Amino acid sequence: MSRTLGRTSAVAVVAAGVVTPLGLDLDTFWSALCTGVDGISAIERFRVDDLRVGRGGEIKKLRALRHGRLPRCRASALLLLAADDLLARAALTADPARVAVVVGTALGGVEEGERALHEGGARAAAGGLYDSPAQTLAERLAARGPVLTVSTACASGATAMGVGADLLTANAADLVVAGGYDVLCRFVMRGFDALRSLTRERVRPFDRRRSGLLLGEGAALVLLARDADAPRVRLGRLLGHASSSDGSHVAAPDPEGRGLEHAVRGALAAAGVGGEAVDFVSAHGTATLLNDKIETAVLRRVLGARAGAVPVNSIKGALGHSMGAAATLEAIMCLLASRDGVVPGTAGYEEADPACAVDVRGVARAARPRVSLSTSLGFGGCNAALVLEGTS
Amino acid sequence: MTRVLGVGLLTGWGAGVAALPEDARRAAGERRVVSADTPPLAGERFRRATRECLLGVAAVEAALRESGLDRAAVAGPRTALVYVTAAAYGASNHGFIEAGSARPARADGGLREMRGSALYFPYTAPSAVPAEVAIEYGLTGGYVILVGGAAAGVDALWQAGTLLTAGRADTALVLAVETFEECAALWARGRWTTPRPLVEAAACAVLQGGGELEYGPGDASTLETLVARRAGETLACGPLVGLALARAAGAPRARVTGHWRGRRAQIALAT
Repeated sequence: MSRTLGRTSAVAVVAAGVVTPLGLDLDTFWSALCTGVDGISAIERFRVDDLRVGRGGEIKKLRALRHGRLPRCRASALLLLAADDLLARAALTADPARVAVVVGTALGGVEEGERALHEGGARAAAGGLYDSPAQTLAERLAARGPVLTVSTACASGATAMGVGADLLTANAADLVVAGGYDVLCRFVMRGFDALRSLTRERVRPFDRRRSGLLLGEGAALVLLARDADAPRVRLGRLLGHASSSDGSHVAAPDPEGRGLEHAVRGALAAAGVGGEAVDFVSAHGTATLLNDKIETAVLRRVLGARAGAVPVNSIKGALGHSMGAAATLEAIMCLLASRDGVVPGTAGYEEADPACAVDVRGVARAARPRVSLSTSLGFGGCNAALVLEGTS
Repeated sequence: MTRVLGVGLLTGWGAGVAALPEDARRAAGERRVVSADTPPLAGERFRRATRECLLGVAAVEAALRESGLDRAAVAGPRTALVYVTAAAYGASNHGFIEAGSARPARADGGLREMRGSALYFPYTAPSAVPAEVAIEYGLTGGYVILVGGAAAGVDALWQAGTLLTAGRADTALVLAVETFEECAALWARGRWTTPRPLVEAAACAVLQGGGELEYGPGDASTLETLVARRAGETLACGPLVGLALARAAGAPRARVTGHWRGRRAQIALAT
């Protein structure tokens, strides 16, 4: 690399761990993404026969933890599995009092809350609190620093990484385990089914025939450290991050994408780069009519004349919208693309939409982005953007 | 130093610090939950807003009034909003779950049907409360939502201070809302989590400036003890209640602490 990017607030992404419908560890997830494996299937774990749509990115079978038992709470189980994968790749070498946990979620332990309402029990009642899975993770990691749960809906995984970076910059921690998770459960399926946001067809981000999203589940964690303290072998760096509020609607994004644009420009400014530095965009790309059109408009404004030439993808066609986990999975994907020189395709994308005039492809392509932009949106007018630098 | 311009406070005891009893436990008597009145915000804008949303909007209004700021002063991308709650999504989640249960509907004037609807579902997200606030006041700046009790209230103050110090905002609103009434039975079951009485509250602090925040772990402050005695258990609102008490006492600086699930956090702010 000829030039040092990022300001002093840049933090190292040391390692990552995941559990997804595409694979129960990072390597399987990554190879499945690159080879076009479809993680969408008929939902089997709970009743869907009364819903319009009964498919999603469901993890069919959880593996065992290397140490200890999986908790009954599925959200906690997913987080612990992702942590298990992370710790197989990197150790928490700091004083436990200086290890922080910051995880994002849209739903927290809502499934436990539902169980508590129907079955009773004090444990389930406490488990229903949205911050319970993060507490479980911190206990398992023996992390005694700050334990924060972020809930900016489907942008949570990005916001959590940003807050984690802030903790390091403020010297409030020496290591941060940051990321996101969510479970595919009846609660959220009922909600999105009622909203008519779920497609009965294939998920097709940015495609002319796109007709909606499908939900998924998973967990993704990264180990963050201050750049100067991190080992030389790492996945990359988080150069900048920013969040914003639309201030326009509780459930729908701002039709002009002003909030997202503000977040994107803020993240680029924090990274100390302009739109011309962006080599690759991991879009939120839900495959709803509105989202993909808005994101396209924002990218065209931010990237300017290069907008049609910068590779863009969405991995939600392959694994569904994993809500709180989505943005962290996408950030990890950006860094792996830099490492291996492969940008995964956008599963389901076949036919260009003039309203989505960005460079999307249905299959993986050879490209080695140095700087990636990852965008996220969520209910409540939540927007978040991350600027990442790979280790190419 | 990051300074507090004003704190808006609504609790089950009433509006402001003056409404707090000297001894919350004694004032609560046998009540497990001391409920807050629903703010009388009228109009089409709020026809779907939940009680916790209305409490949030009213707390921000009170905070701006106390800070001497009008709406125009906070509208736009230079004002950040940091929202924190441990419990305020419980009522909407409970309503949505109950609406989808197989139990026969009660005669509730269509409430159950409404709570299972597409229009209601977005209000089950914790982000619904700050969304309504952002819409009402035109806030489009930095946006962070944390979930947790009093320690998370301190984390929210830190996050707001970080946004100010980094130059990502000129003004930051830290809003906390806690409601318990609709899930009182669940809270009673998990009563080991919190001492009684649970007091519903909505509090908003307006912050400006930036600089050293003295954020980290710490022992319980005298303010934390005072908040527990005067207000009761207000979870994430606790540190903001502490700031309101410190300002009412004329303290130039306050060290507020908050404890939740085995962790205590502290921060110092100019008041």
